[in-house]
Amino acid sequence: MRQFGNLIVNLLAIVVLGIGGGLGSAWYMVEAGSRLTTRSFGPWTTWIAAGRPDADPYTRAHTARNGLLPIASTLELSFYAKTDSDGGQLQSACDYAVTVEGLDGAWWDLAAFDRRGGVIPNGADRFTFSSDTAMREPDGRAVIVLARDARPGNWLPVGAGKVTLALTIQDAVLAAAVYAAGPIKPLPTIRKLGCR
Amino acid sequence: MNPRFPTRFPTPALPERWPNLAPPRLDVRQPARPAPPGWIRKIHWRAAIGALLLAGILHVTATLAVPLVGPGMAYQKLRDLLPANTMVVVPPARPGKQLLPFLMPDAYYGICRYSLASEPVTVSAPLADLGWTLSLHTPQGDNFYVIPGQQLRATDLSLVIVPAAEKSGDLIPAFTRRPAAASEDQIASPSEEGLIIIRAPLKGLAWKGEAEAALARAKCTPGLKP
Repeated sequence: MRQFGNLIVNLLAIVVLGIGGGLGSAWYMVEAGSRLTTRSFGPWTTWIAAGRPDADPYTRAHTARNGLLPIASTLELSFYAKTDSDGGQLQSACDYAVTVEGLDGAWWDLAAFDRRGGVIPNGADRFTFSSDTAMREPDGRAVIVLARDARPGNWLPVGAGKVTLALTIQDAVLAAAVYAAGPIKPLPTIRKLGCR
Repeated sequence: MNPRFPTRFPTPALPERWPNLAPPRLDVRQPARPAPPGWIRKIHWRAAIGALLLAGILHVTATLAVPLVGPGMAYQKLRDLLPANTMVVVPPARPGKQLLPFLMPDAYYGICRYSLASEPVTVSAPLADLGWTLSLHTPQGDNFYVIPGQQLRATDLSLVIVPAAEKSGDLIPAFTRRPAAASEDQIASPSEEGLIIIRAPLKGLAWKGEAEAALARAKCTPGLKP
């Protein structure tokens, strides 16, 4: 009877640890990525081989699972942020200032989405700012404020719930530096202004 | 000297050597390590290795299977919506009216689902400004060709997409080698089907008409260029 109990425990261990560990680790590597597949700069994370024909299996799985259609990371990069620069979750109950500077010469676009990548409904029908549409400060910076209620300047409305920011930068030099793990231009900071 | 109040007190004689005392015995007990639960102690090392092997197999299988069976794949979503070899212009995304997740919201998209089953496909597209791109994707999402627009310089492109085997002129299966280098206006597609995507970001509402007019000129037609 005792041997039968040991057998059951061992079989359960194989099934639970094997299935849970295998599928759980695969899910983590596909959804969150690792140092092998992503690079992070402050709150911003990018999949370094996204869209490339020689992408690794994790990047391919990430792209397919999320229904993405990325342009090859040799030309432009898409960075995603779910937290502010201090590590707090981006949520619509708080206001944030995103300061874009140092990306001179590069075309960029900053959009706010919900966590599933859907645009966030808002009365102003405003979902994004780009290097063409953002107003600049006298020193050349672009400060974009994420808030529920209207703000002067570059106001990007956010609805209820958690927010994901997507930053697309079209700059082959930057893309090459990220792929080669070299130093890059500073990416925008995300500063919390306050919460309700 | 008053014998009742001596000014000198007798000092006890010190031993010549200190007694050889044994060091004090300190009763230091190691903190007891918490014993693992009984069921963990019952797991045999062979079972642990078996679990690790199973985890590894499932990890690799799941990772490789996601692109094949993943329900969210962009191409699968678009295949049913788009006719083959026809350019469809999609207006900027709005809540509930969004083709794909994380697609740039303030941009028009010209999308053509191409099929090279019978003949090559010719694409003509304008790239009006910075931020505009023309990109070619396989059904798996690989972006095997992309060309960006240039600032303040409108460019009209005309490309012919041909099967990779047709370019090389041999019978080597397409998936075993890189797409052959094409001439300037010929692009070898590693897959028989795929997507042509023209992204046209809006610089503001004032440019909406201009972008629409430019995208209306984009074409995706079967056959070689005339």
